[in-house]
Amino acid sequence: MDSLFRWIESSALSVWTRESTSLIAYPAILSAHAIGMALAAGVNAAIALRLLGAASEIPMAEMRRYAGVAWIGFAINAVSGMLLLIAYPTKALTNPMFYLKLSLIAVGLALFVAVNRRLEQWTSEARTWIGVALLVSWGSAIVAGRLLAYTYRRLMAG
Amino acid sequence: MVRLQIWLVTLFASVKPIARLMHTAWGWPLAESVHFIGLSLLVGTVGLFDLRLLGLGQRIPIAAMHRLIPWGLAGFGINAVSGIAFLLAEPDQYVYNPSFHVKVLFIAAAGVNALTFYLTTYRKVTANGAPVGAPPAAKAMAAISLSLWIGVIIAGRLLTFYRPFPCQPPEPGFLATCIPGFHANWK
Repeated sequence: MDSLFRWIESSALSVWTRESTSLIAYPAILSAHAIGMALAAGVNAAIALRLLGAASEIPMAEMRRYAGVAWIGFAINAVSGMLLLIAYPTKALTNPMFYLKLSLIAVGLALFVAVNRRLEQWTSEARTWIGVALLVSWGSAIVAGRLLAYTYRRLMAG
Repeated sequence: MVRLQIWLVTLFASVKPIARLMHTAWGWPLAESVHFIGLSLLVGTVGLFDLRLLGLGQRIPIAAMHRLIPWGLAGFGINAVSGIAFLLAEPDQYVYNPSFHVKVLFIAAAGVNALTFYLTTYRKVTANGAPVGAPPAAKAMAAISLSLWIGVIIAGRLLTFYRPFPCQPPEPGFLATCIPGFHANWK
């Protein structure tokens, strides 16, 4: 594994992302990742709150019109997250917290897709539980992501 | 301003219990996690309301969409509390940080913008039988709100890249962006 990490770390993109003093390198990528998080987790939170009975005047079917905003957030974070991973592959891939974060995002995404596809088939009780699960999965994905900065054991392989 | 900054740092540093809590192993990471959850809640609700004013999801009445705003205020409250905890724990890392100056300015501007919205077009756009589309003034304020909150996130994320260090000559002028020493002129 270490040879793979070293190979990624020595690539031009990895070196630029990690070492460039330009604001459009690491700082811009981190900012983009935070904005994408706000859009993805934020829209999911709004949908979850609606499922839990908040703002019940909003027709649930129409609420799903904002799913596109969450998808834009996911796309921003897939790209910025990949760049952060290329910058520090060892740091992320040797940290169990990183795999926990990815798993929590996968759960959150699956729930989000389910809400968009088959909301009509659910009882009101089921909707409540899906709302709770959405909040918990996205909330804990954020916490796991934030803890990455504190729980890594190795920064680089090279 | 430099005198005010020094006074603020001294004041914030005098509140010891929060700083002690923040400097435990889990204090800072936990407060950061809460801060990120709060910002997502704020952007997910206020941001969607702004997008509705701008014309997205027109089948939802603006008044109905406004029901999400209290949750955005809750997010803001969460972040005010966690943000003040950071400030009390490491006052000089914020009070002298240019990115923090911009962040506070953007938050204040977002507040003024929101207040202007409530004092001007809020009643009209949320009234019974209000037209589906918001007037241009409301759209402008929505666009300003979205831009400012994105700006707040960026300025917040850039804080670490503008960490102030002890001042080197020339000494700070109007607004210090480095940590001033105890110089006779500032006392």
